[in-house]
Amino acid sequence: MSLSIIIWLPAVAGALSLLAPRAVAGRLAVVGALATLVLAVILLVGFDNSAPGLQNVTDQNWISALGIHYKLGIDGLNVWLLTTTAMLFFAAILFASFREWERPNLFFFFFAVAESAVLGAFCAQDLILFVVFFDLMLIPFYFITGMWGGEGRVQATTKMVIYTLIGSLLMLVAAVATGVIAAEGGQPLTFAISGLQQAGLSTGTQEWIFLGFAAAFLVKMPLFPLHGWMPDAYRTMPLPALAVFSGILSKVAAYGFLRIVIPLFPDGAAHFQELLLLIALASIIYGSVMAFTQTNLRLIFGFSSVAQLGFIVLGIFALSPRGAEGALLQMVNHAVITVPVFLIIALLAARSRGSEDIREMGGLAFRAPLLAALFLIVSLATLAMPGSSNFIGEFYILLGVFESKTVIAIIAFSGVAMAAVYALRAYISTMHNRVGAQATPREIGLQDALVLVPLVLVILALAIYPQAPLKAAQGPAARSVAKARLALDPLDQRASTQKISQVTP
Amino acid sequence: MTLATSAWLVLACPLVGMLSIALLGKKLSPRLAGTIGTLAIALAFAFAVVTLIKLQQLPSNARLETTSLWDLANVGGVKIEVGLYIDPLSTFMILIVTGVSTLIHLYSAGYMQTDKGYVRYFAYLNFFVFSMLLLVLAGNLILLIVGWAFVGAASYMLVSYWYRRETATAAGIKAFVINVIGDIGLVLGTLFLFRTMGVLDYGQLFSNIHVAFDKDAPELVAAMLLILVGAFAKSAQIPFHTWLPDAMEGPTPVSSLIHAATMVTAGVYLIGRLHPLFEWAPTAAAVGAIIGAITLLVAGSIGLVMTDLKRVIAYSTMSQIGYMIMGVSAAAYVGGFFHLMSHAFFKALLFMAAGSIISAMGGNQSLNNMKGFRKAMPFTFACFLAGGFALSAFPLFSGFFSKDTLLYEVGARGGWYWALYVAGYVGAAFTVFYTWRMIFRAFWGQPCKEAVVVMETGDAYHPAQHTNPHTGNEDDPSTQEVEDPEVGFPGHEHRYAEKTWQMRYAMIPLAILAVFAGVIQLPFGITNVISDFLHPTFADSTVAYMPEDSGLEAFGLILSSVIAIVSLIAAYWIWVRRPGSSAAIQARLPWIHKLFVNKWYFDELNHAVIIAPMAAVGRFAKNTFERIVIDGAMVGGATGIVRAGSSVVRSGQSGYMRAYASLIVLGLIGVALYFLIESA
Repeated sequence: MSLSIIIWLPAVAGALSLLAPRAVAGRLAVVGALATLVLAVILLVGFDNSAPGLQNVTDQNWISALGIHYKLGIDGLNVWLLTTTAMLFFAAILFASFREWERPNLFFFFFAVAESAVLGAFCAQDLILFVVFFDLMLIPFYFITGMWGGEGRVQATTKMVIYTLIGSLLMLVAAVATGVIAAEGGQPLTFAISGLQQAGLSTGTQEWIFLGFAAAFLVKMPLFPLHGWMPDAYRTMPLPALAVFSGILSKVAAYGFLRIVIPLFPDGAAHFQELLLLIALASIIYGSVMAFTQTNLRLIFGFSSVAQLGFIVLGIFALSPRGAEGALLQMVNHAVITVPVFLIIALLAARSRGSEDIREMGGLAFRAPLLAALFLIVSLATLAMPGSSNFIGEFYILLGVFESKTVIAIIAFSGVAMAAVYALRAYISTMHNRVGAQATPREIGLQDALVLVPLVLVILALAIYPQAPLKAAQGPAARSVAKARLALDPLDQRASTQKISQVTP
Repeated sequence: MTLATSAWLVLACPLVGMLSIALLGKKLSPRLAGTIGTLAIALAFAFAVVTLIKLQQLPSNARLETTSLWDLANVGGVKIEVGLYIDPLSTFMILIVTGVSTLIHLYSAGYMQTDKGYVRYFAYLNFFVFSMLLLVLAGNLILLIVGWAFVGAASYMLVSYWYRRETATAAGIKAFVINVIGDIGLVLGTLFLFRTMGVLDYGQLFSNIHVAFDKDAPELVAAMLLILVGAFAKSAQIPFHTWLPDAMEGPTPVSSLIHAATMVTAGVYLIGRLHPLFEWAPTAAAVGAIIGAITLLVAGSIGLVMTDLKRVIAYSTMSQIGYMIMGVSAAAYVGGFFHLMSHAFFKALLFMAAGSIISAMGGNQSLNNMKGFRKAMPFTFACFLAGGFALSAFPLFSGFFSKDTLLYEVGARGGWYWALYVAGYVGAAFTVFYTWRMIFRAFWGQPCKEAVVVMETGDAYHPAQHTNPHTGNEDDPSTQEVEDPEVGFPGHEHRYAEKTWQMRYAMIPLAILAVFAGVIQLPFGITNVISDFLHPTFADSTVAYMPEDSGLEAFGLILSSVIAIVSLIAAYWIWVRRPGSSAAIQARLPWIHKLFVNKWYFDELNHAVIIAPMAAVGRFAKNTFERIVIDGAMVGGATGIVRAGSSVVRSGQSGYMRAYASLIVLGLIGVALYFLIESA
């Protein structure tokens, strides 16, 4: 099956909804997202875990003069992320379609374009194509925040645009430089990721190019201290859009490290390993501390995302197969919990006369047991309770880090403890205690339940069998970090430290 | 049915029970939910008995079976199976857990029948039992951690079951967070073990430990100490115990479940389960034993002065678990698990009897207000007596034999273990005093007004409005917060044992067991049921299993009897014959009393060392750092650079965000189109 169909289907549906009557705009976008989801699931089912290399490759000359290809493909790194994206966008668009929006045609158009761009970024196998999709996916969110956002949207959009554009520009420069420098030896100019892997850039070059990509990705996630745009943007963005923005777009950045940065610039990654680990660690601690001081639900989970992405980056820059596998699993997990979290916040706000402040909520559980149960499961998954798939992801991540950087892993555990505090605090202050000042308890509606119950079932299914995404990640994750690992430790002594492997047959 | 199948079914019953109650939800009548919940656990008990029979059919040197259903994760050299480890120890535990839990479910069906959250209650209760069984049966460290965390989550749900009470939700989150800290200890310990050994299954851990580590190697000691943190947090050992007394916020049958059958015994089980590792890291084992001894003394001393009936029993649990932790850490396995069993019986019984009294008191839990229930509630009184005699280790009751076996095994190791032995007997005196203080104050003397109501009307006392006993002045309901009637104990009708058959039939078997269960493991080798049964699990122990020193054994029995009888007489003297004498003692030793009443200031210590600094860091991050550094320097700086660099962009962005963004899109689309046409 051609990946182009999956990628562009939402945008086509979005374009149609631009032309359609107001009343059906949302429905068209929903149909487009649903069709995409079906195709993505078929793709996942047909995916061959054992085959090395890319599958379902599309490769066409795009800008031949510059050697830029329209090249798409899937492997274990992105196949689960692709399907997760299709699922979560479908859920968010469906959820949004149950609500009234001003200028719905335009709203759903942007939403659908965002889905196409994210899918494109996950599938792109050409550096420039990736950059294009990466920037394209941000644009709809500028509009959505600027046009449909809440109070303070102009300032929020300005901050977001400036931050992300600086990041994007650095990335663009870095991407162009990669291709140009790699072609210096007389090879033809190419930006294909597979081709560039053999390029063998000098260590010095790798280091500065690494920083260009890292800046873009760290801003996008965001990680401490580059999260300055996040609170304002999170406070104003419409919740269905925020759900996918926080849940999925941040993963494109994390994925970019594994797809592009570490395989192409292994020496750079090895050189800056400790810097990135420290940034990740700082994000875990800072994000967690901030999360339990906030009273706005969006920001509690916004800062929680900072901490969770800290864990993911920690796993990636453990530069070990286990760390990368855990990071990939955790990307899927975090996306799958973040989207329901923000959708639930929308429901909670609707039951608190629009307030998103936990001090004004409370006591909803008695009248809304199903909503309470859903929120409880999602909260427990957020704090990576053992038994959730998030726990397995974190376990692999911390295992990867623990092997070489024991102290960092031990400090990172404080984030796990703090997650318990802020996640339960959010749950208790909305669902339990006396009925809050603004609270008007009522059960989740049938339509919204139709969106949220399946998502929670997916969380439970992943908890029972996290092996499925792990298995796909296994080979590609190890290959992604292999060179950097070698750059880090040419002798790779760690493999031989496990005495047991000599003891048991 | 094979051994493996029956073990899986033990696990499946409460899970199916929980799911069916939760999914049917409000469609179920309360009575039906209670019936399903109770039957599910009873069925699990039946399968546990089948497991026992199947296990005993195996030759004694091969009483171990592992079985697995699927791989939770199996990449990168980490294999985590959903697998069970069935041996005498885990079978022993599932029998106690399911057996006692069945009775607690039955009791709950009566006790909670007027509560509005009845259906939710039974779903939680079944989940709790499922979690504990998973913990006990797990075949590897990760699945153990999963069960471990589920128990924590279940306890959170049940402790804050009456969630309109802020005291209950605060207690719930406290229990949960301390348990998460325990989980982290376990996970870190596991990482330490895994880094060197590369395995997670018990079997491989046990058989390779001597090769992978030198005896008492620092890394192994570190791992085992971290695992002990997990055990301490779950078993409420110092300094991780502060959640346990607060957990009294839950309904009384929940306290019974947490204290008797599930949860707090998990730490004891864990140390027993991992005994080959602890014996290979004697430093860590010694720490466990010493903390257990300290806990049993500290908790016992606090139990002497608490005035909330349930909290006295809670501190008594902490103290008794201290004995068990001390025992199993000191390789007193038979005594440790024997005491775990008898404690499960008498502690479940004591909580049930306490629940009956609290019901009759209309929800008031203060010993200061209870008096003279002896005649008003003879059945409850008899049960409380049976539990009280067993708890205070009165000669010939179950607690007498189990505690003595434990201390005998500890003492027989000689050396510094003598200090633990002495601590155990000092603690025994504490136990007698706090137990009988409770009994004398609640059952003797001139009946209080609630007891009179029970005697005269044959019904429980009903206060005009229900209040939360954990707020305001403990003794004066008028100062306490009024309950939210939608979800709050105790509903509008109270159930006490004399009037409720479910409660009675749950208490009778426990009373019989509390009195007589000691006969299965009598001293001097008269009966050896437990030591023989558990022997295969501990056959690899490097410490002598069940020492033979009848002199020491006899000495212990005599000492124990003397302590029990003399202290009982003294307690009678203090609280019945000379009612003023306890106040006189308090006046004589005010600072000790203050220390005990303030629970040795552990809550204040936690607050000063952990919570206050964290809150300060949080405030600093939110109010200062974020504003000045992130928003000021970072955002301001970035914005400034852009503004300075491009006046064109500046004029474009001030107020014209949409136009600005549109320009980008148009530009991008234009470039893309150009190259598309070019390449075609």
